[in-house]
Amino acid sequence: MTTAIKGNDTSTFGGAIAANNVSAIVPAFSAYMSGDQSISTSTWTKVQFNSELFDTDNCFDSTTNYRFTPTVAGYYQINFRSRTIGTSSTATYYSIYKNGSATGINSAALATNAGFQSMQTVSGIIYCNGSTDYIEFYANNNGTSPFIDAAGGSDLGNTTTVDGVLVRAA
Amino acid sequence: MTLYDKILAVRPNLTAEDFMPHGNSTIVLQNDSDGKGDYIREWNHPTETKPTNAELDGVQ
Repeated sequence: MTTAIKGNDTSTFGGAIAANNVSAIVPAFSAYMSGDQSISTSTWTKVQFNSELFDTDNCFDSTTNYRFTPTVAGYYQINFRSRTIGTSSTATYYSIYKNGSATGINSAALATNAGFQSMQTVSGIIYCNGSTDYIEFYANNNGTSPFIDAAGGSDLGNTTTVDGVLVRAA
Repeated sequence: MTLYDKILAVRPNLTAEDFMPHGNSTIVLQNDSDGKGDYIREWNHPTETKPTNAELDGVQ
């Protein structure tokens, strides 16, 4: 049956709404870096996302551990975008970690021209148990004196960002 | 001097390829941004032994 609702009409639904369809309980966050972060050559380094655009449920730690620890169990869409720069660099890598270990969701870019820079996006859906599971973000560059680039020109905006949202409760 | 540089100093037969995550990488360095600095997360090189802390500390 189809019922049109218009103006100030109200309607009461008779059926129960499953918890995984309650859109109000969906932790979401978006974070970025306030400045460049120096890293060591060929060393997986956790990105210090120390600024937040939004963090609906205070699940992202942008002050100490730079990690996302959601409080609702379920499957999260995570998007990690970054750029690293290093003198004579020929390779950059990015990886999403869960509970301190690589998830296998990663990105690699190789080039023969030394000093190349690439912005890459790593995305995936990751299950979190809503209590102890946490997500972190790592970058790697094989150049000399590399750093994680926080922002490009006015057209690029923030070049290293992360965001995520619950897409299905457990 | 970074841990990467110190390792290359005490194990001169290693190359940059040994540290790169793709292909034949056998050495993994990591930094958890917790103030403790770089460390060797994995060392699986077939011929070169993992340097000791004393060796690394001795590099100027």
